[in-house]
Amino acid sequence: MSTHSTSNNTLGIGTFACAWCGLTVSATAADGRPRNHCPSCLHSRHVTDLVEGGAGECHGRMSPIAIAVLRTGDWMVIHRCVRCDELTSNPVCADDNQLVLMRMAVRPLAQPPFPLEAFGAL
Amino acid sequence: MPRRNTTRARASVRRRPQRHKDVLHTQGGHRANDFKCAGCLLDVPLDAPGTGHRNHCPNCLLSLHVDARVPGDRAAGCRGRMEAVSMSARPDGEWLLIHQCLTCGELSANRIAGDDNPLALVRLALRPLQGTGTGMARSALLSL
Repeated sequence: MSTHSTSNNTLGIGTFACAWCGLTVSATAADGRPRNHCPSCLHSRHVTDLVEGGAGECHGRMSPIAIAVLRTGDWMVIHRCVRCDELTSNPVCADDNQLVLMRMAVRPLAQPPFPLEAFGAL
Repeated sequence: MPRRNTTRARASVRRRPQRHKDVLHTQGGHRANDFKCAGCLLDVPLDAPGTGHRNHCPNCLLSLHVDARVPGDRAAGCRGRMEAVSMSARPDGEWLLIHQCLTCGELSANRIAGDDNPLALVRLALRPLQGTGTGMARSALLSL
């Protein structure tokens, strides 16, 4: 996620190209928060290092693997770096692709390791 | 409750084998015997069916932040509790638990074991879908 903002860009609006689908995405979401993943395919780029706390040098593509739910009910997207296997979690934006979000949320239920019929009696 | 899954059996032939366990939790290792869960105080045996890297309690799915990158390296200095926050699935359908450390916020992924509590696993997998009525789940469901 390399932000290309020029010096005469008075609005401070930067864009980045998605590492997976190539979509040009504005770096700021509609509500003003910084955006760190593509709203279309939800892929991200590994630029921050959680352990060091600063900028990381991996720059690998991060693919979304899971949906986590906070206690407030908000959804977080869990990303995994395909290069170094680091995991990060990012909040969901309002304009993220909800088909992809819902597909990730129901993904474990598509192939359960045990029959789910037994839970119908509970 | 095992279920024979032919697609998974075929996919497991091609898959990368499980990481070799070079850290032995035996005499002279980190612990000699069972470990006690920090959450529900259950005595958990070391050998788990289906995996060689048990890192969470099969009853309450709680884990401890002791390993850094390699399973069993004991390189993390945090020692915080790790709570299961979500369920992920590999391309072959195998379930992965995503733990988050309650102390430092670090995330980790671990395969589920054969004796993990199925009710706890399914409750975790269904957590994004039990919408409060105003959350993301409702808007995402309505958009389909």
